[in-house]
Amino acid sequence: MRRVALVALLLLAAAAPAHAVAGVAVTNDRTEITTKIGRHVIFHSRIANRGNAPVSGLVAHLNVVDLTGRTYVDPEDWSSHRTRYLAPIPAGGSVSLAWPMNAVNAGTIGLYVAVLPRTGPPVRPATSPTVRLRVLDRKTLNSGGILPLALGIPAALGLLTLGVRRSRQGG
Amino acid sequence: MLVVLGQELRDLWLGGRGLVLTFAFSLLLSVIAYLVATNHALNFLEHRETVNLLLQVAIAVGSLLALLTAADTVSGERERGTLESLLLTPVSRLALAAGKLLGSLSLWAVALVVTVPYLWFLGRGVGLVGDALVTGVVVGTLLAVFLASLGFLISVFARSNRVSLSLSLLLLLTLFVPTQLPSAAQQGWAGDLLLRLNPITAGEHYVGKVVTSAHPWSEDLSWLVSPFVCAGVFAALALLAGARFVRLGGGAAA
Repeated sequence: MRRVALVALLLLAAAAPAHAVAGVAVTNDRTEITTKIGRHVIFHSRIANRGNAPVSGLVAHLNVVDLTGRTYVDPEDWSSHRTRYLAPIPAGGSVSLAWPMNAVNAGTIGLYVAVLPRTGPPVRPATSPTVRLRVLDRKTLNSGGILPLALGIPAALGLLTLGVRRSRQGG
Repeated sequence: MLVVLGQELRDLWLGGRGLVLTFAFSLLLSVIAYLVATNHALNFLEHRETVNLLLQVAIAVGSLLALLTAADTVSGERERGTLESLLLTPVSRLALAAGKLLGSLSLWAVALVVTVPYLWFLGRGVGLVGDALVTGVVVGTLLAVFLASLGFLISVFARSNRVSLSLSLLLLLTLFVPTQLPSAAQQGWAGDLLLRLNPITAGEHYVGKVVTSAHPWSEDLSWLVSPFVCAGVFAALALLAGARFVRLGGGAAA
Protein backbone atom coordinates (compact mmCIF):
# COMPACT_ATOMS: atom_id res chain seq x y z
CA MET A 1 0.00 0.00 0.00
CA ARG A 2 2.81 2.37 0.90
CA ARG A 3 4.57 1.39 -2.31
CA VAL A 4 1.48 2.24 -4.37
CA ALA A 5 1.18 5.57 -2.62
CA LEU A 6 4.83 6.31 -3.30
CA VAL A 7 4.45 5.48 -7.01
CA ALA A 8 1.31 7.64 -7.20
CA LEU A 9 3.15 10.51 -5.53
CA LEU A 10 6.06 10.20 -7.96
CA LEU A 11 3.68 10.14 -10.93
CA LEU A 12 1.88 13.21 -9.64
CA ALA A 13 5.16 14.99 -9.10
CA ALA A 14 6.23 14.20 -12.65
CA ALA A 15 2.92 15.33 -14.13
CA ALA A 16 2.51 18.56 -12.17
CA PRO A 17 4.57 21.59 -13.16
CA ALA A 18 7.49 22.27 -10.90
CA HIS A 19 8.16 25.66 -9.30
CA ALA A 20 7.25 28.96 -10.89
CA VAL A 21 9.89 30.71 -12.97
CA ALA A 22 12.64 31.05 -10.37
CA GLY A 23 13.03 34.50 -8.89
CA VAL A 24 10.82 36.27 -11.43
CA ALA A 25 8.04 38.58 -10.20
CA VAL A 26 5.48 40.35 -12.38
CA THR A 27 3.69 43.50 -11.27
CA ASN A 28 1.40 46.01 -12.99
CA ASP A 29 1.31 49.77 -12.68
CA ARG A 30 -2.40 49.73 -11.77
CA THR A 31 -5.12 47.44 -10.58
CA GLU A 32 -8.14 48.97 -12.26
CA ILE A 33 -8.86 50.91 -15.46
CA THR A 34 -12.17 52.49 -16.36
CA THR A 35 -12.79 53.60 -19.91
CA LYS A 36 -15.49 53.85 -22.55
CA ILE A 37 -16.17 51.56 -25.45
CA GLY A 38 -14.08 52.40 -28.51
CA ARG A 39 -11.29 54.06 -26.50
CA HIS A 40 -7.66 52.97 -26.33
CA VAL A 41 -5.94 52.45 -22.98
CA ILE A 42 -2.47 51.38 -21.98
CA PHE A 43 -1.00 49.78 -18.87
CA HIS A 44 2.53 48.74 -17.96
CA SER A 45 3.97 45.59 -16.42
CA ARG A 46 7.32 45.23 -14.72
CA ILE A 47 9.09 41.88 -14.86
CA ALA A 48 11.74 41.79 -12.12
CA ASN A 49 14.48 39.24 -11.61
CA ARG A 50 14.79 38.91 -7.85
CA GLY A 51 17.17 35.98 -8.08
CA ASN A 52 20.95 35.95 -7.80
CA ALA A 53 21.62 34.97 -11.40
CA PRO A 54 20.57 36.54 -14.71
CA VAL A 55 17.57 35.00 -16.44
CA SER A 56 17.11 34.72 -20.18
CA GLY A 57 14.78 33.15 -22.70
CA LEU A 58 11.58 34.42 -21.08
CA VAL A 59 8.35 35.21 -22.87
CA ALA A 60 5.58 37.40 -21.47
CA HIS A 61 1.99 36.89 -22.59
CA LEU A 62 -1.01 39.10 -21.94
CA ASN A 63 -4.23 37.23 -21.15
CA VAL A 64 -7.66 38.78 -21.64
CA VAL A 65 -10.61 37.21 -19.79
CA ASP A 66 -14.26 38.23 -19.54
CA LEU A 67 -15.18 38.44 -15.85
CA THR A 68 -18.92 38.97 -16.32
CA GLY A 69 -19.69 35.85 -18.34
CA ARG A 70 -21.75 37.97 -20.75
CA THR A 71 -19.18 39.71 -22.91
CA TYR A 72 -17.73 38.07 -25.98
CA VAL A 73 -13.95 38.37 -25.91
CA ASP A 74 -11.63 37.73 -28.80
CA PRO A 75 -8.22 38.62 -27.33
CA GLU A 76 -6.83 39.59 -30.75
CA ASP A 77 -9.40 42.39 -30.94
CA TRP A 78 -8.43 43.74 -27.54
CA SER A 79 -4.70 43.74 -28.13
CA SER A 80 -2.94 42.85 -31.36
CA HIS A 81 0.50 42.46 -29.77
CA ARG A 82 0.08 40.21 -26.75
CA THR A 83 3.26 38.11 -26.81
CA ARG A 84 6.67 39.65 -26.05
CA TYR A 85 9.98 37.84 -26.13
CA LEU A 86 12.15 39.32 -23.42
CA ALA A 87 15.82 40.21 -23.50
CA PRO A 88 17.97 38.68 -20.71
CA ILE A 89 17.33 40.29 -17.31
CA PRO A 90 20.38 40.64 -15.03
CA ALA A 91 20.18 39.67 -11.36
CA GLY A 92 18.24 42.35 -9.52
CA GLY A 93 17.20 43.98 -12.80
CA SER A 94 13.82 44.38 -14.44
CA VAL A 95 12.13 45.21 -17.72
CA SER A 96 8.98 47.23 -18.32
CA LEU A 97 6.39 46.33 -20.93
CA ALA A 98 3.60 48.53 -22.28
CA TRP A 99 0.32 46.85 -23.22
CA PRO A 100 -1.91 48.96 -25.48
CA MET A 101 -5.54 47.82 -25.36
CA ASN A 102 -8.66 48.55 -27.40
CA ALA A 103 -11.92 48.68 -25.45
CA VAL A 104 -13.99 46.61 -27.84
CA ASN A 105 -17.10 45.67 -25.85
CA ALA A 106 -18.78 46.95 -22.72
CA GLY A 107 -18.19 44.84 -19.60
CA THR A 108 -15.52 43.98 -17.04
CA ILE A 109 -12.44 42.35 -18.42
CA GLY A 110 -9.63 40.73 -16.44
CA LEU A 111 -6.10 41.27 -17.71
CA TYR A 112 -3.02 39.49 -16.43
CA VAL A 113 0.48 38.83 -17.67
CA ALA A 114 2.09 35.40 -17.53
CA VAL A 115 5.86 35.00 -17.85
CA LEU A 116 7.31 31.60 -18.74
CA PRO A 117 10.58 30.24 -20.09
CA ARG A 118 10.81 29.41 -23.78
CA THR A 119 12.81 26.22 -23.20
CA GLY A 120 13.58 23.71 -20.43
CA PRO A 121 11.30 21.60 -18.27
CA PRO A 122 7.70 22.81 -17.80
CA VAL A 123 7.31 25.18 -14.87
CA ARG A 124 4.41 27.16 -13.48
CA PRO A 125 4.40 30.60 -15.14
CA ALA A 126 4.96 33.67 -13.02
CA THR A 127 1.79 35.74 -13.23
CA SER A 128 0.89 39.29 -12.41
CA PRO A 129 -2.08 40.41 -10.29
CA THR A 130 -5.24 40.97 -12.32
CA VAL A 131 -6.01 44.36 -13.79
CA ARG A 132 -9.76 44.96 -13.95
CA LEU A 133 -10.68 46.80 -17.11
CA ARG A 134 -14.17 48.28 -16.84
CA VAL A 135 -15.54 49.31 -20.21
CA LEU A 136 -18.60 51.55 -20.11
CA ASP A 137 -21.11 51.54 -22.91
CA ARG A 138 -21.67 54.77 -24.74
CA LYS A 139 -23.79 56.13 -27.50
CA THR A 140 -21.45 56.63 -30.39
CA LEU A 141 -23.78 57.93 -33.03
CA ASN A 142 -27.25 59.30 -33.24
CA SER A 143 -28.65 57.01 -35.90
CA GLY A 144 -31.90 58.95 -36.20
CA GLY A 145 -32.27 60.45 -39.62
CA ILE A 146 -29.93 58.09 -41.42
CA LEU A 147 -32.72 56.26 -43.21
CA PRO A 148 -34.08 59.27 -45.14
CA LEU A 149 -30.54 60.16 -46.16
CA ALA A 150 -29.56 56.58 -47.06
CA LEU A 151 -32.67 56.15 -49.19
CA GLY A 152 -33.04 59.71 -50.44
CA ILE A 153 -29.72 60.21 -52.19
CA PRO A 154 -29.78 56.98 -54.26
CA ALA A 155 -33.45 57.58 -55.03
CA ALA A 156 -32.74 61.09 -56.28
CA LEU A 157 -29.83 59.88 -58.38
CA GLY A 158 -31.88 56.97 -59.71
CA LEU A 159 -34.69 59.33 -60.76
CA LEU A 160 -32.18 61.67 -62.38
CA THR A 161 -30.67 58.75 -64.33
CA LEU A 162 -34.11 57.62 -65.51
CA GLY A 163 -35.06 61.17 -66.44
CA VAL A 164 -31.93 61.66 -68.52
CA ARG A 165 -32.47 58.33 -70.29
CA ARG A 166 -36.07 59.13 -71.07
CA SER A 167 -35.27 62.57 -72.37
CA ARG A 168 -32.60 61.09 -74.65
CA GLN A 169 -34.98 58.43 -75.90
CA GLY A 170 -37.67 61.05 -76.45
CA GLY A 171 -35.23 63.33 -78.27
CA MET B 1 -9.27 71.30 -74.87
CA LEU B 2 -12.59 72.73 -73.65
CA VAL B 3 -14.30 71.41 -76.78
CA VAL B 4 -13.02 67.89 -76.08
CA LEU B 5 -13.86 68.21 -72.39
CA GLY B 6 -17.40 69.34 -73.22
CA GLN B 7 -17.86 66.40 -75.56
CA GLU B 8 -16.48 63.97 -72.97
CA LEU B 9 -18.78 65.35 -70.26
CA ARG B 10 -21.80 65.07 -72.57
CA ASP B 11 -20.90 61.47 -73.47
CA LEU B 12 -20.31 60.50 -69.87
CA TRP B 13 -23.21 62.26 -68.14
CA LEU B 14 -25.90 62.62 -70.77
CA GLY B 15 -25.05 59.18 -72.16
CA GLY B 16 -26.02 57.87 -68.74
CA ARG B 17 -22.88 55.90 -67.85
CA GLY B 18 -21.67 58.46 -65.33
CA LEU B 19 -25.07 58.68 -63.68
CA VAL B 20 -25.40 54.91 -63.36
CA LEU B 21 -21.94 54.63 -61.78
CA THR B 22 -22.74 57.50 -59.41
CA PHE B 23 -26.04 55.86 -58.49
CA ALA B 24 -24.19 52.62 -57.63
CA PHE B 25 -21.65 54.65 -55.67
CA SER B 26 -24.38 56.34 -53.63
CA LEU B 27 -25.99 52.95 -52.90
CA LEU B 28 -22.67 51.70 -51.50
CA LEU B 29 -22.24 54.80 -49.31
CA SER B 30 -25.86 54.47 -48.12
CA VAL B 31 -25.31 50.86 -47.02
CA ILE B 32 -22.10 51.74 -45.17
CA ALA B 33 -23.59 54.85 -43.53
CA TYR B 34 -26.69 52.90 -42.45
CA LEU B 35 -24.61 50.05 -41.03
CA VAL B 36 -22.22 52.23 -39.04
CA ALA B 37 -25.12 54.28 -37.71
CA THR B 38 -27.40 51.44 -36.65
CA ASN B 39 -25.55 48.12 -36.45
CA HIS B 40 -24.48 47.33 -32.88
CA ALA B 41 -21.55 45.19 -33.94
CA LEU B 42 -20.06 48.12 -35.85
CA ASN B 43 -21.35 50.82 -33.59
CA PHE B 44 -18.52 50.53 -31.08
CA LEU B 45 -16.53 52.56 -33.53
CA GLU B 46 -15.97 56.10 -32.44
CA HIS B 47 -17.57 58.94 -34.32
CA ARG B 48 -14.20 59.75 -35.86
CA GLU B 49 -13.65 56.17 -36.96
CA THR B 50 -17.02 56.00 -38.69
CA VAL B 51 -16.24 59.18 -40.61
CA ASN B 52 -12.82 57.79 -41.49
CA LEU B 53 -14.32 54.50 -42.71
CA LEU B 54 -16.82 56.26 -44.94
CA LEU B 55 -14.26 58.72 -46.29
CA GLN B 56 -11.73 55.99 -47.09
CA VAL B 57 -14.36 53.97 -48.97
CA ALA B 58 -15.46 57.10 -50.84
CA ILE B 59 -11.88 57.92 -51.87
CA ALA B 60 -11.11 54.34 -52.89
CA VAL B 61 -14.29 53.77 -54.90
CA GLY B 62 -14.42 57.32 -56.30
CA SER B 63 -10.89 57.04 -57.67
CA LEU B 64 -11.69 53.54 -58.95
CA LEU B 65 -14.51 55.06 -61.01
CA ALA B 66 -12.08 57.63 -62.44
CA LEU B 67 -9.65 54.82 -63.30
CA LEU B 68 -12.29 52.72 -65.05
CA THR B 69 -13.56 55.68 -67.08
CA ALA B 70 -10.04 56.69 -68.09
CA ALA B 71 -9.18 53.11 -69.05
CA ASP B 72 -12.02 53.23 -71.55
CA THR B 73 -11.18 56.58 -73.15
CA VAL B 74 -8.85 55.70 -76.04
CA SER B 75 -9.23 51.92 -76.33
CA GLY B 76 -13.01 52.25 -76.02
CA GLU B 77 -13.21 54.89 -78.77
CA ARG B 78 -10.95 52.70 -80.89
CA GLU B 79 -13.24 49.68 -80.51
CA ARG B 80 -16.42 51.68 -81.07
CA GLY B 81 -14.89 53.08 -84.27
CA THR B 82 -15.15 56.70 -83.15
CA LEU B 83 -11.45 57.38 -82.63
CA GLU B 84 -10.79 58.14 -86.29
CA SER B 85 -13.29 61.00 -86.43
CA LEU B 86 -11.92 62.29 -83.14
CA LEU B 87 -8.37 62.31 -84.48
CA LEU B 88 -9.52 64.20 -87.56
CA THR B 89 -10.95 67.09 -85.53
CA PRO B 90 -8.80 70.25 -85.56
CA VAL B 91 -7.66 69.80 -81.97
CA SER B 92 -4.13 69.08 -80.83
CA ARG B 93 -3.43 65.62 -79.43
CA LEU B 94 -2.33 67.19 -76.16
CA ALA B 95 -5.67 68.99 -75.82
CA LEU B 96 -7.41 65.75 -76.71
CA ALA B 97 -5.57 63.88 -73.96
CA ALA B 98 -6.14 66.65 -71.40
CA GLY B 99 -9.85 66.85 -72.23
CA LYS B 100 -10.31 63.11 -71.89
CA LEU B 101 -8.37 62.99 -68.64
CA LEU B 102 -10.41 65.83 -67.15
CA GLY B 103 -13.61 64.17 -68.34
CA SER B 104 -12.66 61.01 -66.44
CA LEU B 105 -11.87 63.05 -63.35
CA SER B 106 -15.37 64.56 -63.42
CA LEU B 107 -16.60 61.22 -62.01
CA TRP B 108 -14.42 61.71 -58.96
CA ALA B 109 -15.67 65.29 -58.56
CA VAL B 110 -19.31 64.14 -58.63
CA ALA B 111 -18.54 61.23 -56.28
CA LEU B 112 -17.08 63.74 -53.85
CA VAL B 113 -20.21 65.90 -54.02
CA VAL B 114 -22.36 62.80 -53.35
CA THR B 115 -20.16 61.96 -50.33
CA VAL B 116 -20.71 65.35 -48.65
CA PRO B 117 -24.18 64.67 -47.11
CA TYR B 118 -23.01 61.35 -45.67
CA LEU B 119 -19.91 62.99 -44.18
CA TRP B 120 -22.06 65.76 -42.77
CA PHE B 121 -24.44 63.27 -41.15
CA LEU B 122 -21.72 61.14 -39.58
CA GLY B 123 -19.32 63.93 -38.63
CA ARG B 124 -21.63 66.72 -37.47
CA GLY B 125 -21.60 65.71 -33.79
CA VAL B 126 -17.86 66.02 -33.40
CA GLY B 127 -17.14 69.02 -35.61
CA LEU B 128 -15.31 66.83 -38.07
CA VAL B 129 -17.08 67.69 -41.30
CA GLY B 130 -14.66 70.40 -42.44
CA ASP B 131 -11.50 68.44 -41.68
CA ALA B 132 -12.86 65.28 -43.32
CA LEU B 133 -14.01 67.18 -46.38
CA VAL B 134 -10.73 69.01 -46.96
CA THR B 135 -8.70 65.83 -46.38
CA GLY B 136 -10.97 63.96 -48.77
CA VAL B 137 -10.62 66.64 -51.45
CA VAL B 138 -6.81 66.76 -51.20
CA VAL B 139 -6.05 63.03 -50.89
CA GLY B 140 -8.90 61.86 -53.10
CA THR B 141 -7.99 64.27 -55.90
CA LEU B 142 -4.32 63.25 -55.81
CA LEU B 143 -5.27 59.56 -55.97
CA ALA B 144 -7.92 60.14 -58.63
CA VAL B 145 -5.44 62.06 -60.83
CA PHE B 146 -2.87 59.27 -60.37
CA LEU B 147 -5.31 56.45 -61.13
CA ALA B 148 -7.07 58.22 -64.02
CA SER B 149 -3.67 58.97 -65.59
CA LEU B 150 -2.65 55.34 -65.12
CA GLY B 151 -5.88 54.16 -66.74
CA PHE B 152 -5.43 56.61 -69.63
CA LEU B 153 -1.84 55.44 -70.20
CA ILE B 154 -2.96 51.82 -70.33
CA SER B 155 -5.82 52.73 -72.65
CA VAL B 156 -3.45 54.43 -75.10
CA PHE B 157 -1.24 51.37 -75.44
CA ALA B 158 -3.74 48.52 -74.93
CA ARG B 159 -4.61 46.34 -77.91
CA SER B 160 -8.26 46.11 -76.87
CA ASN B 161 -10.65 47.70 -74.43
CA ARG B 162 -10.94 44.45 -72.50
CA VAL B 163 -7.17 44.35 -71.98
CA SER B 164 -7.17 47.97 -70.88
CA LEU B 165 -9.94 47.51 -68.31
CA SER B 166 -8.66 44.22 -66.92
CA LEU B 167 -5.06 45.43 -66.67
CA SER B 168 -6.19 48.62 -64.94
CA LEU B 169 -8.25 46.64 -62.43
CA LEU B 170 -5.40 44.22 -61.81
CA LEU B 171 -2.99 47.07 -61.12
CA LEU B 172 -5.49 48.71 -58.82
CA LEU B 173 -5.98 45.50 -56.85
CA THR B 174 -2.21 45.11 -56.60
CA LEU B 175 -1.96 48.62 -55.16
CA PHE B 176 -4.63 47.74 -52.59
CA VAL B 177 -2.92 44.50 -51.48
CA PRO B 178 -0.75 46.14 -48.77
CA THR B 179 -3.92 47.35 -46.99
CA GLN B 180 -4.78 43.67 -46.36
CA LEU B 181 -1.41 42.73 -44.88
CA PRO B 182 -1.52 41.74 -41.20
CA SER B 183 -0.54 44.56 -38.89
CA ALA B 184 2.70 42.79 -37.92
CA ALA B 185 3.82 42.83 -41.56
CA GLN B 186 3.18 46.57 -41.75
CA GLN B 187 5.58 47.30 -38.92
CA GLY B 188 9.34 47.78 -39.17
CA TRP B 189 11.22 49.82 -41.74
CA ALA B 190 10.34 47.58 -44.70
CA GLY B 191 6.61 47.65 -43.95
CA ASP B 192 6.72 51.40 -43.35
CA LEU B 193 8.57 51.96 -46.62
CA LEU B 194 6.10 49.84 -48.56
CA LEU B 195 3.15 51.78 -47.13
CA ARG B 196 4.82 55.12 -47.86
CA LEU B 197 5.84 54.25 -51.44
CA ASN B 198 2.39 52.99 -52.40
CA PRO B 199 0.29 56.12 -53.07
CA ILE B 200 -2.97 54.37 -52.12
CA THR B 201 -1.81 53.16 -48.69
CA ALA B 202 0.09 56.40 -48.04
CA GLY B 203 -2.95 58.54 -48.86
CA GLU B 204 -5.33 56.44 -46.78
CA HIS B 205 -2.85 56.47 -43.88
CA TYR B 206 -2.78 60.27 -43.97
CA VAL B 207 -6.59 60.44 -43.99
CA GLY B 208 -6.72 58.09 -40.99
CA LYS B 209 -4.22 60.15 -39.02
CA VAL B 210 -6.03 63.45 -39.61
CA VAL B 211 -9.59 62.16 -39.25
CA THR B 212 -9.32 59.40 -36.62
CA SER B 213 -6.26 60.41 -34.61
CA ALA B 214 -7.00 64.17 -34.90
CA HIS B 215 -3.42 64.91 -35.91
CA PRO B 216 -2.71 68.43 -37.20
CA TRP B 217 -2.43 68.78 -40.98
CA SER B 218 1.31 69.25 -40.93
CA GLU B 219 2.24 66.31 -38.70
CA ASP B 220 1.96 63.54 -41.29
CA LEU B 221 2.57 65.54 -44.47
CA SER B 222 5.46 63.26 -45.42
CA TRP B 223 2.84 60.57 -46.14
CA LEU B 224 1.52 62.71 -49.01
CA VAL B 225 4.82 62.71 -50.90
CA SER B 226 4.06 59.50 -52.75
CA PRO B 227 0.48 60.44 -53.81
CA PHE B 228 1.70 63.90 -54.86
CA VAL B 229 4.67 62.61 -56.88
CA CYS B 230 2.66 59.80 -58.49
CA ALA B 231 -0.17 62.18 -59.45
CA GLY B 232 2.29 64.62 -61.05
CA VAL B 233 4.47 62.06 -62.81
CA PHE B 234 1.61 59.93 -64.15
CA ALA B 235 -0.40 62.94 -65.29
CA ALA B 236 2.64 64.19 -67.22
CA LEU B 237 3.22 60.73 -68.71
CA ALA B 238 -0.45 60.43 -69.68
CA LEU B 239 -0.41 63.81 -71.45
CA LEU B 240 2.85 62.93 -73.18
CA ALA B 241 1.52 59.54 -74.28
CA GLY B 242 -1.73 61.13 -75.41
CA ALA B 243 0.14 63.74 -77.44
CA ARG B 244 2.56 61.33 -79.10
CA PHE B 245 1.23 57.78 -79.09
CA VAL B 246 -2.51 57.83 -79.70
CA ARG B 247 -2.99 55.77 -82.87
CA LEU B 248 -5.89 54.18 -84.67
CA GLY B 249 -4.35 50.75 -84.19
CA GLY B 250 -3.81 49.66 -80.58
CA GLY B 251 -0.81 47.98 -79.02
CA ALA B 252 2.69 49.28 -78.53
CA ALA B 253 2.63 51.67 -81.45
CA ALA B 254 5.97 53.08 -82.47
